[in-house]
Amino acid sequence: MRRQPMPNIREGGVNVTPLIDVVMCLIIFFMLVAKIGITTGAEPMDLPETILGQKIEDLGNTLTLNVHRGAGNQPLVTYLPKDERANREIPLARNVGGKVHHPLLEVLKAARRNNPRFKVIIRAQKDLGYELIEPILQTCAAADLNNINFATAQVTELRQE
Amino acid sequence: MRFPASRKIHYDSGPNLTPLVDVVMVILIFLMLVGSFGASEHFLTSNLPIKQAGTGQTHPPAGWVADTALEIRVDPRGAGFEAVAGRIRVNDAVQLENQLRQMLEQFRKAGTPPEKVQVIISPGKVVRYEHLIRVYESALSAGFTKVAFATSH
Repeated sequence: MRRQPMPNIREGGVNVTPLIDVVMCLIIFFMLVAKIGITTGAEPMDLPETILGQKIEDLGNTLTLNVHRGAGNQPLVTYLPKDERANREIPLARNVGGKVHHPLLEVLKAARRNNPRFKVIIRAQKDLGYELIEPILQTCAAADLNNINFATAQVTELRQE
Repeated sequence: MRFPASRKIHYDSGPNLTPLVDVVMVILIFLMLVGSFGASEHFLTSNLPIKQAGTGQTHPPAGWVADTALEIRVDPRGAGFEAVAGRIRVNDAVQLENQLRQMLEQFRKAGTPPEKVQVIISPGKVVRYEHLIRVYESALSAGFTKVAFATSH
């Protein structure tokens, strides 16, 4: 009996199956790891470095306050208001018609009222003096907040003390 | 005229994957560019102690027993800082951590667990934020769980 010879199969080009496998793995990795669409209002700054520290999983319950040195050595605080895309400056106190308003305190109180798990993240440049951070902490205390988180950069090398 | 190649048998090896690869590559590049990973940032959590006087005073709940307070005064010293807690006076975060660890051990021996000790960092006005965070981290590393900031002295 004469055996039929195998047909001559011609490859159509480069085998892309391993490429697709790898790329799919990368896509799944990025989809799991990347935080897309989460904007906390964190501004780039030179944060103090720490070894200890924890991650905050529920960033939706947080309000990030960026503390800078403002005019007249006063704290300048910026934050990202809800449903807005750009950070806005928020004064600690404002005099309107002879009456003193506390916009930051009002924002914190409202957030605390609406969300019992509300917490504040404070971001400040590492060379900032405590005199500029203290009013923010006092405002948080006045708003009855007891969960304050200080953003720090993770140390990647051992410190030389 | 007939070409000899046209007579050869040609098998398709499956569906055409080129559009799939195109789309997948676009998604991959998009995720790489848009995604923010934030792996190099983390947070030190602080509690604000219950205060019965001054700014931010809160009414303590019934049966509330005040924690044992441990105050750490921090002042600038040259390019660094000096921390004073009780009889401890150090200007180095590692030394501070070791001393605080010993203090915590003394608290334990006296029957006070770490969660009943409220560490209060009391900085001077011009102390740099990074030094405060160093002191803060030293207290946490030593094993204290409740650390907060006081008004400047």
